Amino acid sequence: MRFASRSIVLRLGARAALAALLVATSHADAPPASLVLYVICNPSVEVSEEDLRDVFLGERQFAGDVHLTPVDNRAAQPVFLERVLKMTPAKYSTTWTKKSFRDGVNPLPVKGSNAETIEFVRREVGACSYVTTTPGAGVRVILNSTG
Amino acid sequence: MKRSAVILCSALLFTGAMGSADAATAAAPKTDDRVAELERRLDASNKLIEQLSERLHDLEARLAPPSATAKAPEPPAPAQDETTARLAAIEREVGEMAVAGAASSGSSGLPVHGFADVGAGTRGAIDPDHKGFAVGSLDFYLTPELGERTRALFELNFEVDENGELATDLERAQIGYQISNGATLWLGRFHTPYGYYNTAFHHGQQISTALRRPSFLQFEDAGGIMPAHTVGLWLTGAHRLGGGRWTYDAFVGNAQQIEDGTLNPRQSGLTESEFTVGGNLGYLAGGFLDGLKVGLSYYTSTVGDDALMPNRTRVNNYGLYATFDTDRWENLLEFYHFDNDDLSGTSGSHNSNAGFVQIAYRLERFTPYTRYERAMLEQTDAYFAAQTSGGSYYRSAVGVRFDLNLASALKLEFGRTVETDRAREEFGDALMQYAIRF
Repeated sequence: MRFASRSIVLRLGARAALAALLVATSHADAPPASLVLYVICNPSVEVSEEDLRDVFLGERQFAGDVHLTPVDNRAAQPVFLERVLKMTPAKYSTTWTKKSFRDGVNPLPVKGSNAETIEFVRREVGACSYVTTTPGAGVRVILNSTG
Repeated sequence: MKRSAVILCSALLFTGAMGSADAATAAAPKTDDRVAELERRLDASNKLIEQLSERLHDLEARLAPPSATAKAPEPPAPAQDETTARLAAIEREVGEMAVAGAASSGSSGLPVHGFADVGAGTRGAIDPDHKGFAVGSLDFYLTPELGERTRALFELNFEVDENGELATDLERAQIGYQISNGATLWLGRFHTPYGYYNTAFHHGQQISTALRRPSFLQFEDAGGIMPAHTVGLWLTGAHRLGGGRWTYDAFVGNAQQIEDGTLNPRQSGLTESEFTVGGNLGYLAGGFLDGLKVGLSYYTSTVGDDALMPNRTRVNNYGLYATFDTDRWENLLEFYHFDNDDLSGTSGSHNSNAGFVQIAYRLERFTPYTRYERAMLEQTDAYFAAQTSGGSYYRSAVGVRFDLNLASALKLEFGRTVETDRAREEFGDALMQYAIRF
């Protein structure tokens, strides 16, 4: 029993120390991942950085013949609203309510994490969103914003 | 378990690489090849750690409950304190937004949205002969997803009339086709696109800063003197031009008829061929004028009434509006000029005017506002004479709106109304409203 307890304590201690080392290392040579924003689209979508505001506010529904399917990403939404749309969350929410009420366009579905968002954009023709982790292959990066 | 394994694995790789690097530095001769090899290995280890770190971040986001996901900020770095604090404030609001569900409609099922309001006052918000507590309205609007280009919007409103009876209105029933990014064609019953207020707020009391609509812009059955709804065909859209955007509306629909003192949009059809035709052209500025919209609207219609000797009036309405809607300001100005012609009698042409100006400033959750509205309606014009609410008046009001959260607001308004021709009455009122959206 004593050996088991000691072993657990040692293991927990080792994990904590290693986790602290890992976090310290990752923060020492790169800014926090949440401060790097990638606006991404499915490769089928051809839009420019100037189009993003219209895409995410429901003013632009098509890119060529491709029907756009923008989605919000809760994990990166504060950064996106501040850097790209330059709106407060309250303003964004009210803008969408007015848009929906006047034009019958539904507010964007919301994804819960970067990984879920990247997977959706990679898979869905016409999809666009934004993430705060490196999106990897299979998506088109429309905007890469730091700081 | 998975998270622990990832952490352990990452750390071992990192410490392994560091250990190797240390050993190599101490024991091996400082040859270029040896150093290059160690650097390569260190780079590879760092990349692997970075990937595992990102993976760990995502796993944590998945494992955390939704509210925690929305609110959990990254550990702040000293140089990013200001940015982090600002982001944290925004994250709190995003959390509220998620709770409100205002932007989280799923892609499956039938999206249902709505507004509701209740209130109290020394007089009724619409009918000044009533006072006390009152139910405002319960308004549902449905926006079913019907494919890439087919659109539909149905709005059903429940309200209480002056007798306390429940009244149900199919406010909107419109089915449309999106021709392009800049053009959608609707058929059915829609909000008549004159000015700004009528299409922007309508029954949405929660998204309107002020507690009540300007009186002359009320709904047809609530004292409005203009057709708030039209049954017909409506082409609408917007085109980006430079930093701004042009918006346009063009519509044709059944001409209204005045029945029992109220405008009837005749949604079941016409017995004669008389139509309302109109349009709206606006410009939404960008850049340093972001939030400013200016525009013109016009409609013309031949409107009859149900008098013993029926009147027919050619209504020509010219509208001018300007709005400045930013994070802080919500300023609205609308002005309408009527140039009506008597088609059934010999009274000739009549000119009337109506308009309002509203100024509001958002102070976080509080939004104080003030409004002045005035209608100068010629009483020899059969179009106004036949309407129960066709009298001239002016009203000044001050109020404050308090946002409890993104989906609900409390409003308090004090107003003073002076009727200047028919009744020549003057009265003040104090009103309270609790409005929500969902």
